[in-house]
Amino acid sequence: MNEQRRSVSISGSGRLGGGEYERVSISGSGRVDGDVIASELRISGSGKVAGRTEAGQIVVSGSGTFTDAVVAEEMRISGSGRVDGAVEAKELKCSGSFRAGGDVSGEYVKISGSMKVSGDVEVDIFKASGGFEIEGLLSADKVEIHLGGRCSAREIGGERIIVERGTSFGGALIEGLVKMLTGGGAAELRTAQIEGDEIRLENTIADIVRGKRVVIGPNCRIGRVEYEESLQVHEDAKVEAESKT
Amino acid sequence: MGRDMDDERLISKKEVLETMGISYGQLYRWKRKGLIPEAWFIRRSTFTGQETFFPRDKILERIARIVDMKDDHPLDDLAELITTRVNAKLRVALKKLERAGWLDDELLRSCSPEERSEEAISVWQAFVLGVLSRLRRVAREEEIGLVRRTLEAEVGKGLLDRVSENGLRLYLLRKRVASGGISAQISLVALANEGAIFDPEIEAVEHVELSSVLQRIKLDLMRSDEGEGESGSNDRSAEDGEGDGRQEAKDLEVER
Repeated sequence: MNEQRRSVSISGSGRLGGGEYERVSISGSGRVDGDVIASELRISGSGKVAGRTEAGQIVVSGSGTFTDAVVAEEMRISGSGRVDGAVEAKELKCSGSFRAGGDVSGEYVKISGSMKVSGDVEVDIFKASGGFEIEGLLSADKVEIHLGGRCSAREIGGERIIVERGTSFGGALIEGLVKMLTGGGAAELRTAQIEGDEIRLENTIADIVRGKRVVIGPNCRIGRVEYEESLQVHEDAKVEAESKT
Repeated sequence: MGRDMDDERLISKKEVLETMGISYGQLYRWKRKGLIPEAWFIRRSTFTGQETFFPRDKILERIARIVDMKDDHPLDDLAELITTRVNAKLRVALKKLERAGWLDDELLRSCSPEERSEEAISVWQAFVLGVLSRLRRVAREEEIGLVRRTLEAEVGKGLLDRVSENGLRLYLLRKRVASGGISAQISLVALANEGAIFDPEIEAVEHVELSSVLQRIKLDLMRSDEGEGESGSNDRSAEDGEGDGRQEAKDLEVER
């Protein structure tokens, strides 16, 4: 039962069968055929796992492609990452671009760059600077978005939702990178609905915003705001209807 | 039954928040933690745009229970207690089940002997026992065995996960076959969703709502977990009213 797990590394170019490993490291170009379980999976260069991945730590610098679901304690990507299935990671950090074909769940997601998710994103803390496209629901206790490009989600829900236009972390370099990766669209957030306890928005276009304490900042266009305790609307924002509940 | 259709039994998200005095943050968090099933979120268009509705009784009962228990249990544990997800390693003390009144010697005997000596059984085994105990009155001995083998064949195939929300039932069926003056009765066991249809010659002797068995186990565990010392006011959450299992927390061991 307690068989010692192997560590393997590919440098240059190579292929590896699926299975259980201690450490898998790919530098150069490599491919894992089949499901893989490992405590650590490192890709520098270009790597592909054709199967399901379960790992303690996944580090990709360069490009990493996963054709099935990924389950990890920690997933760090600098460069580009693509997961065709669902992603379940306690901590997911990506600078560069990230794509998920399924839902993304976990505790902490931080994206600087661009992100595209075909399902829902449900985490405790979601931080994004750059642009993203989430086809489903974005839900987190804390949602912090620093708009650096086009951002969209079908719906957003959580406790504290803050959308700012700005580059407070990362600066011009990140902004440049983001512009490049996202095709440089206008820095704005579009969504059908935002629901939260504390909501502060800038540059946001939404049909409905519902919350306890709501601040609608500059450049927002909101169809309807329903608030419980307080509502502030910036003079450069447009709110078509508001009601206190 | 449902003449007025769903509308009367649905409640809007806003009303849920108002009625229960909870916040959006909490509701979304509970949904994320799996405390509120995805299927209960019903999206409808209204004149103000998209609105989310819930099955009224279910959501109010569920939230009351979460609110009631959340101070004593970490959210992730709560999810285990309240919903489908079951920690397979959670072990239930046999004695407690005995005291909770749904085990007797006969049933214990039908449970394998090694397990008895362990004094603690897994949730899965408790589940099987729970199902058997509900059939005990009507089922013959060989049928009990058949049910047990049916369930045991499903161990590790994710049956427990499927059990909860989708109304899966275990049916005990009998069919009489007669030919040439000889007649025999055969027993069948089926796992099917509520409303399964069988041929007219089949007699459905009994069915067991699998989710209620699971819920019952968890409730028993929970109550014994909380019940140390004074009696809580949590009797009301008992699904089928006859809950009397409030024991010491000691013999609940949770292995990680």
